[in-house]
Amino acid sequence: MDFKLTEKQRAFRQEVRAFLKRELSKGIYPKGNNCFVHQFSKAFSKEVAKKGWIGLAWPQEYGGKGWGYVDRTIMLEEMFMAGAPMAYHFIGDRQVGPGIIHFGSESLKEKFLPKVLDSDVCFCLLFSEPDAGSDLANARSTAVEKRDHFLVNGQKVWTSNGHLADYGWALVKTNFDPEVSRYNAFSEMIIDMKSPGVTVRPIINMAGVHSFNEVFFDNVVVPKEYLVGKKDNGFRQIMTNLDYERAGIERLMQNYQTKEALFDYVKTTKDKGKPLSEDPLIRNTFARLEEEYHVARLYLYYVASLLDQGKIPTFEAAMGKTVATLYESRLADVATTIMGLPALLMPGSPEAPFDGMVCDDYLWSPSYTLQGGVVEVLKNIIARRGLRLGAK
Amino acid sequence: MDFHFDEEERMLMVSAKKFLEKEAPARVVRALYEDEKGYSPEMWEKMGQLGWMGLPFSQDYGGYDGPFLQLGVIQEALGAAAVPTPFFTTVVVSGLLLQDWASPEIKEEYLPHIAAGDSIVTLALAGKSGLYGWDHTGLVAEAFPGGYRLEGSAYYVPYAHVADHFICAAKTPSETGEGVTLFLVGRHSQGVDTVPLKTVTGLGTECVVRCQEVEVPPDRVVGEVGKGWQYIKAVWPQIAAALSCECVGGMDKVLDLCFGHVNQRIQFGRPLSAFQVVQHMCVDMFAKAETARHAAHYAAWMLSEGMACRKEASIAKAWCGEAFKDVTKMAHQVTGGIGFTEEFDLHLYTRNAKRLEVSFGNGDYHRGIVADALDL
Repeated sequence: MDFKLTEKQRAFRQEVRAFLKRELSKGIYPKGNNCFVHQFSKAFSKEVAKKGWIGLAWPQEYGGKGWGYVDRTIMLEEMFMAGAPMAYHFIGDRQVGPGIIHFGSESLKEKFLPKVLDSDVCFCLLFSEPDAGSDLANARSTAVEKRDHFLVNGQKVWTSNGHLADYGWALVKTNFDPEVSRYNAFSEMIIDMKSPGVTVRPIINMAGVHSFNEVFFDNVVVPKEYLVGKKDNGFRQIMTNLDYERAGIERLMQNYQTKEALFDYVKTTKDKGKPLSEDPLIRNTFARLEEEYHVARLYLYYVASLLDQGKIPTFEAAMGKTVATLYESRLADVATTIMGLPALLMPGSPEAPFDGMVCDDYLWSPSYTLQGGVVEVLKNIIARRGLRLGAK
Repeated sequence: MDFHFDEEERMLMVSAKKFLEKEAPARVVRALYEDEKGYSPEMWEKMGQLGWMGLPFSQDYGGYDGPFLQLGVIQEALGAAAVPTPFFTTVVVSGLLLQDWASPEIKEEYLPHIAAGDSIVTLALAGKSGLYGWDHTGLVAEAFPGGYRLEGSAYYVPYAHVADHFICAAKTPSETGEGVTLFLVGRHSQGVDTVPLKTVTGLGTECVVRCQEVEVPPDRVVGEVGKGWQYIKAVWPQIAAALSCECVGGMDKVLDLCFGHVNQRIQFGRPLSAFQVVQHMCVDMFAKAETARHAAHYAAWMLSEGMACRKEASIAKAWCGEAFKDVTKMAHQVTGGIGFTEEFDLHLYTRNAKRLEVSFGNGDYHRGIVADALDL
């Protein structure tokens, strides 16, 4: 049993930290909460690409560094602590790249991997639909096979940064035989968001922010070579990658800046002549948050270490996301409760502490335990795969 | 990074669990609850022969110079068995206290016996309130030409009635105001009386130690006069980590009991495990057990590495103590009527979980330590 980071890992953390300090002090990039989805800067992502840190955990033969998931976690942890804008490259790095590496043709690898590595392309995910959230296999968008292309029709929803992305990574139906199981009826394919027939419409979330979109496909022509992997094997391909997507440290640190803001707030705000931080109840509350953060962080590093050991975290990824996102949700709630009335001030309001970031976080917080797999469905997965309960 | 036991650690765990499955099945645990001694001398001797008591001590004293994680493994195995034993109080609390803070002479005299397993030594710390603090000790020591006289009562002293020696924490007057001194006192000393208490985990596991003018020569002081509470604070992380590991072992066993039940119990034409709510309750228990596992192991590992880990050890104790308690509560919901019987083994763990939750600081106490470590 050894929790020690190697010399190389420790040095890497310092290198990332120094890089972030240098870059973010320039004051030219956005930063803050939700920095892997909502703080968007191609210029910053380019700087990360120049360091070779996109594709850190991809195999070297595909242009990655061939490092491990613990290494990647270290880098991401530093990025999140700094609130660095990762939205341009995050999806490409986290799952499009690995998806193409695992399942894509040589032509797809040549066409897209270098661009992702150089931060020259931005991807969004085209999975969920109005009728297909937790029940993803209920999706209805179709890709009918023609002689030299697929013709795609349908609609996707909750597409983060669909309005900014160059390409979408889509799950579409390619098998229409009613005898065939839903799970064998889909394909993964890449869709050029600039294609004729693609319409992107904003969805404003309850925080008043445009992050999600609806994406409509009206007879969109998708070249055959943009099919990823085997036709009709898309659902299984996605499920494979979910274990990688699910339990990254982004599940714990999406609102890391709220944690820091709350600390700052209780140290500087006084009640009866003493800082709030001396109040035993506040100390107890903070320590409880620290407990939850600590155990969740350990668990996410655990999942990363399993991946590095070549193991498949069939239920551990779901567990990590569950524990981490429940903490994130609680943090937003606790922070606003402690801060009280000032925490009701929105971004843009005069007098808003931390530019309204904590209020904003609370309004984003319902999404933490919903996006990428709702906690209740994750628990079903843990029960079935981890505890073998309810097996048919 | 590797969160799993290595080969050596795993073998120690497997052998410890095997030993306890044989020597301390539930039947034996139940009998020990009713036993006046509160432990099995035969089992104690066998544990000594296996070398468990020698694990953390220097080879100079007949120990194995083992890393703290090995103690954590034994504690975890003991927690799974829920067996009453003086192991924790003797080896983890008293042994480490003496190893870190006593004079060479005292160590020479006491540690070889502790390490060999032929001595039970227990810390008499708490007062009647059971609160942990330098000013809550139940004993007072007054200096006189021959040494010190101890007066008062120490409460909740594990196995005092069968111990060979106590380490008595007593208030001694001092300029610093935090004057607690640790004294080594033999159980048969003049003026010492032990009164066994009936606790939730047995008839013979904790006692009051009453001292009436107990005379202690100055060479029986552990470390320096007036510094006793500092010494205790210094081993608090070891205590916290060891108890956390015990909780982890207990949780594993409770989960086994629950999963066995929900897979077998049929209602509404299906096993309980077919119902989503029951599945989610099991997952919630599992989440607590797994997060507790890493927290406990991490703290124990940091101690093995000699790293300062006051915060991490207290996070572990707060988390694991409450997690184990919570898991037993959820387990009762899931096991229904049968889980509520004396016959079903769950209550052995429910009792143990509550004991572990409040021993050496409940969750709030340890969160106080965590808050201090955060520079709030």
